Amino acid sequence: MTEAVEDIFVRIERAFPILSEKLLHTKEECTEEEFANLAEDVRVLKLSQFVEDIVIHHIEQYIRWHVAPVFWEKFENTEDSKRGFELFKSAVDDLYSNLTEFLPLLKKLEYLRQNQDVVTDPSSVENDIEARFKLIVRATLLSQLPLYHECIIEHFYKIAFNVFCNSDNSSPDVSVNEIQCVGCAQEVENCQCQMIVYIFHETNRKLIELKLLERLVGNVLTSLIHIRIENHVIQTCDKTFDVSQLIPLENWLETVVMSWLIRIYSGGFSKTVTLSDEIRNAINKFKQKLSHFLYETYTKIRINHLFNIIIEYPESQPAVDDLRICLERTDQRKVLIKNLQEAIKTRLLHPGVNTPDIVTAYIAAIKALKHLDSTGVLLEAVTEPIKSYLRSREDTVRSVVNSLLDDSPSELADELVKGECLQLDDGSADDETEDWEKWMPDPVDADPAKSTQRKVSDIISTLVNVYGSQDLFVNEYRTLLADRLLSQLNYHTEREIRHLELLKRRFGENQLHYCEVMLKDVYDSKRIDGNIHSDTSYNLQRELFPTSALILSAQFWPPFKEDWKLKLPNIVQNQLNKYVKAFEALKGNRTLCWKPHLGNVSLEIELKDRKLDINVTPVHATIILHFQDKSEWALQDLAEVIHAPATVLRRKMTFWVSQGLLKETSNDVYVLQEESTSKNRLSTDIVEEEETESVMASASDQREEELQVFWSYIVGMLTNLDSMPIERIHQMLKMFASQGPGAVECGLPELRQFLDRKVREHQLLLSGSFYRLPKS
Amino acid sequence: MKVTIKSWTGVATWRWIANDDNCGICRMPFDASCPDCKIPGDDCPLVWGQCSHCFHIHCIMKWLHSQQTSHICPMCRQEWKFKE
Ligand SMILES: [Zn+2]
Ligand SMILES: [Zn+2]
Ligand SMILES: [Zn+2]
Repeated sequence: MTEAVEDIFVRIERAFPILSEKLLHTKEECTEEEFANLAEDVRVLKLSQFVEDIVIHHIEQYIRWHVAPVFWEKFENTEDSKRGFELFKSAVDDLYSNLTEFLPLLKKLEYLRQNQDVVTDPSSVENDIEARFKLIVRATLLSQLPLYHECIIEHFYKIAFNVFCNSDNSSPDVSVNEIQCVGCAQEVENCQCQMIVYIFHETNRKLIELKLLERLVGNVLTSLIHIRIENHVIQTCDKTFDVSQLIPLENWLETVVMSWLIRIYSGGFSKTVTLSDEIRNAINKFKQKLSHFLYETYTKIRINHLFNIIIEYPESQPAVDDLRICLERTDQRKVLIKNLQEAIKTRLLHPGVNTPDIVTAYIAAIKALKHLDSTGVLLEAVTEPIKSYLRSREDTVRSVVNSLLDDSPSELADELVKGECLQLDDGSADDETEDWEKWMPDPVDADPAKSTQRKVSDIISTLVNVYGSQDLFVNEYRTLLADRLLSQLNYHTEREIRHLELLKRRFGENQLHYCEVMLKDVYDSKRIDGNIHSDTSYNLQRELFPTSALILSAQFWPPFKEDWKLKLPNIVQNQLNKYVKAFEALKGNRTLCWKPHLGNVSLEIELKDRKLDINVTPVHATIILHFQDKSEWALQDLAEVIHAPATVLRRKMTFWVSQGLLKETSNDVYVLQEESTSKNRLSTDIVEEEETESVMASASDQREEELQVFWSYIVGMLTNLDSMPIERIHQMLKMFASQGPGAVECGLPELRQFLDRKVREHQLLLSGSFYRLPKS
Repeated sequence: MKVTIKSWTGVATWRWIANDDNCGICRMPFDASCPDCKIPGDDCPLVWGQCSHCFHIHCIMKWLHSQQTSHICPMCRQEWKFKE
């Protein structure tokens, strides 16, 4: 028996020369018959598992010492891409042919396995000798992975993939006069493309067969495809926002990119039917990763252009729609917020941009971001800087009110017509009534401090909330309305009444009550004027010139700028006095006080060589009337006569100088120009008043006065309680200072701005979040 | 030069001719309305007593209504009689 055993080992060694570390083919190879006998003996002795293990062990050793090092030797860190291409090709070719030489050996092992009696526990043994072999090859190769192994792989695939992608185009765009091939960069008649594509597929096929494709070249191939995807996305999606790109991109992935994958995995064929399930799975996994990458790339591009997308909204709505879907699939909200904040800061919030443009951009941002994220969290995070910047601009409220009342189509005017109720964000809103069944959690990046107050309010509300109070807006509107009524002076109020009705639906009746009285004043003035003119005693006295008046209820109009009181010419003053008498007669116990500088005067001026019809302010009329009596005036003298400051008068004189009626002959001395010096002036020119300066005290001046009321309360509080955080101050003010009629409201943001200013003026100290009074 | 005024549109504010600025009852300016009214002037006129004090008509009426027995002026405590 021992002899037989010894004999069998010799025979095994002869059948598997690898056991003696020899090259695969020895001279005295065992014949098929010899091997069949051996297999039979091995079966009888139940040695097949033993033989398999020992042979496999030796195969592993052989690969480790002789195959893997030879393979990796070729992986140089070379700069030469052509050399890299050749090296990788030959590395794969050599590896493949080396490993092919193991096939007879593997067949023999397979035979031994098939030949044995009992199948020893099938789970412990690899299903298939070839699979076991390939696993060993992979493991052994990868255990010796050199540092720069990707270098020649990159060279190979860069060249090959480029040619491959170009070979993909059914109609290659090689124009006639092109000397270089787009694919291989060789001269056209020398084109290597077909060859390269062949090598590309051959190499892939070999790697797939060895199951090395993904493990060895997966990274390189993926990053090359990524570059292709990136370029494609940039080419198709850059700078056009009015078309949705997601479906075209998905289609492109499904057709072009998928055809690449299928052809790579099938070694050149492009039909899926020929692919095994395993490969099809691999392709699908790959595709999913690429699809994710496609979305990520597209999202990034859209985020980079989000500022422009917002500015172009609503034309850019398709881009916003795309981005919304992308954000659900990718994790880029943080990037978006950071990016957009940065863009807003550098492109919008600086002194070079005027306030109406900032307001317009802000409105666009509100609309676009609400469309992007209906919870309002993105909007809140991104637009906070715009809000605080707008708060620092003096003309913000004015430009918002102006665009609210714009007659030409504007976003805000449209919003106003929608007529939703104003939602104030001062924390007082009771959202307990919300339907709890429809409750949705906030997105994870929501600011928890604001969570309970967040409501997706409409645009006008959002703008009003920049200051946290509607008082400023209502006051600004009142000033604007006053200016309009006083500059028109024609008793026509239809347009203003329409606006007021719209605003009342927004801000409520109470807030706009004053404005209602103002409009009623205009209406009443017309009636009173009619009554006065039909009064016989007034008519008996004969009007020197047609006179009418706008009669205001002083308590309801915003304060007027009245630094000085104009002294009108006597004939005018007498006429106005008569008007007052008539009014007193009509409305017993009431009288009128003229605002002499306000109003509108229609003059006809006859000069030696021309006649002028002109509408001017009372100041200008007064000036020119004085020149009727005396053709030369020193500024100072005239100033005394009409009770005006010289500086103001000098500015007013320029109007008549520009009309060619007056001339400054020497310093501050003006002379009437009876004869025209310029020939081209038409004698019947009707010239409009050039200045459109507001006659009202500015809204911010008025607000300042109101806030001073709070200041005395705040000083009192801080004297008693030492230091307080802003929320507490706000609460206390709401409790004590905002009671009773005519109470002033003050939102938290406005209060913060007010307090911060007091800090800058050293009237307050801020330490941590506590305000205190400086020690005096 | 001859300047002809073709028309003059002026701006004026109206006010009550009274010996005080505010109503002694509601403390609001006479030229504003009483707290119950929205529109000043014709809709919320003043009335004078023989004692020469005056009030928003709505204010003094409310005051007189609340006095059960005698009607006196809230300012000078003399008997209230409307000035003819
Ligand atoms: Zn009263
Ligand atoms: Zn009243
Ligand atoms: Zn009295």
